[in-house]
Amino acid sequence: MTSITTALPPAVRNHVGLTPGVSQGPALLAGIAQGPGLVAHRDRLGPAPRPSAEALVELARDVDLRGRGGAGFPFAIKLAAAARRRAVVVVNASEGEPASHKDAALMTCSPHVVLDGAAAVAHALSTREVHIVVPSELPSLRLIVEKALRERATAGERLKVQLHDAEPRFVAGQAQAVLQLMAGRENLPVTSWQPQAVSGHKGRPTLLSNAETFAHLGHLARVGAAGYAAHGTADEPGTTLLTLRGDAWDPQVREVAFGTPLEDVLDEDEMRRPLLLGGYHGTWLRPAQLRGLTVSRNDIAAAGATLGAGVMLPLAEGWCPLVRTAALVDYLAGESAGRCGPCRNGLPAMAEAVGALVHDGGPVRRVEELCGLVVQRGACAHPDGTARLVASMLQRFPQEVDSHSLGTCRSGREEELG
Amino acid sequence: MSEHQLRVDWPACKGHGLCAELLPEVLSRDEWGFPIVDGPVKNEVLAMARRAVKACPTLALRLTEQPPRHA
Repeated sequence: MTSITTALPPAVRNHVGLTPGVSQGPALLAGIAQGPGLVAHRDRLGPAPRPSAEALVELARDVDLRGRGGAGFPFAIKLAAAARRRAVVVVNASEGEPASHKDAALMTCSPHVVLDGAAAVAHALSTREVHIVVPSELPSLRLIVEKALRERATAGERLKVQLHDAEPRFVAGQAQAVLQLMAGRENLPVTSWQPQAVSGHKGRPTLLSNAETFAHLGHLARVGAAGYAAHGTADEPGTTLLTLRGDAWDPQVREVAFGTPLEDVLDEDEMRRPLLLGGYHGTWLRPAQLRGLTVSRNDIAAAGATLGAGVMLPLAEGWCPLVRTAALVDYLAGESAGRCGPCRNGLPAMAEAVGALVHDGGPVRRVEELCGLVVQRGACAHPDGTARLVASMLQRFPQEVDSHSLGTCRSGREEELG
Repeated sequence: MSEHQLRVDWPACKGHGLCAELLPEVLSRDEWGFPIVDGPVKNEVLAMARRAVKACPTLALRLTEQPPRHA
């Protein structure tokens, strides 16, 4: 497989201004060489099937389809809960995590793969109301989606689709923040008292999922559970999208089957360095933990980490993982929406405490205390994710923590020392 | 019978601290004055928990019968 690589439209770029490369994949990204048009899409795959809600729930359960926004919630449960009168479908392609580009890659290279899934879900839920949330910092993505929707309307699809522009901030893609945006309020998280599937947009049952999740669903409806299991393992059928080095100079989006050895995803050099898995809210792994690891939710959970939204960030050559973490916590503290007291106060305090530990040998105890203080005390999981990153730094790099306490770590400090 | 839980509407909470004054059995305050829910609400203090909910000036406290859940 692979070898065909395409570049995203120039306007799709990471925060250092680089456009991620996208490789052809086995399922969702199989048609990227044919371009984003509907005709090529239908020529390749034929018409999109329209299973009933019951059939779709059963398919999703058969292959244990999980949400791809990061939390990994079982999709069958969500769909079954939303399958009531006056349901609303929401495709979340906003991708607030700056190191993740997989949804942008999917929406720009193969929008119809996502839209087939959204149409299948809308049909199953007997609704025509579909909302698509796009990142406002990528105007070219919106244009591609608009064009794809025009093609579908011309071909006779009768969906009422509304596009919404998510703000360029970390927490804007969080589910409650997306519902706020759709309601015309500020694009920020609020407290959720009920699951969205029960009471979401305007109090209606709302199936809100990540763009990649809809793409998997469309593929699953087309090929069936057995066809879907052509890739992956018996425990984890199917594929997943990964963003590699999303905030570095050569970001890449790849689709791989579950069970793919990490050696096939990272190069030899990267296998010898610490890996931040799951993005800025993710978990560090030591190089020794990477050997034998596969791209698998179960394997990765057994190693004490989570795949999250599929972001893999190998530590750059010559860097100290503590210095890198301190920089990320600074960034994350700045991304607090500032609405919830424990996050507004706790994240800057944590950035300060981690900075003190890393740069001035400050106390570890203060860092641990703050990690405990912010968890489960906010409208969204931003404080929890930040605490997870910091806790994994303390857990995986105890020797480095000691050497920072003693002021003896020299790696990654060249710039700082001038 | 299911136990009751206190849940905080975090964006609404301004850290006035009345709830922790009324219900120290269940609530304490962090270093910035925001409430920390230390555990479930036992039946002995259920009436006081209801008073704490009513006393909140920003209506940021709720009594629920479910365990705390993340969005």
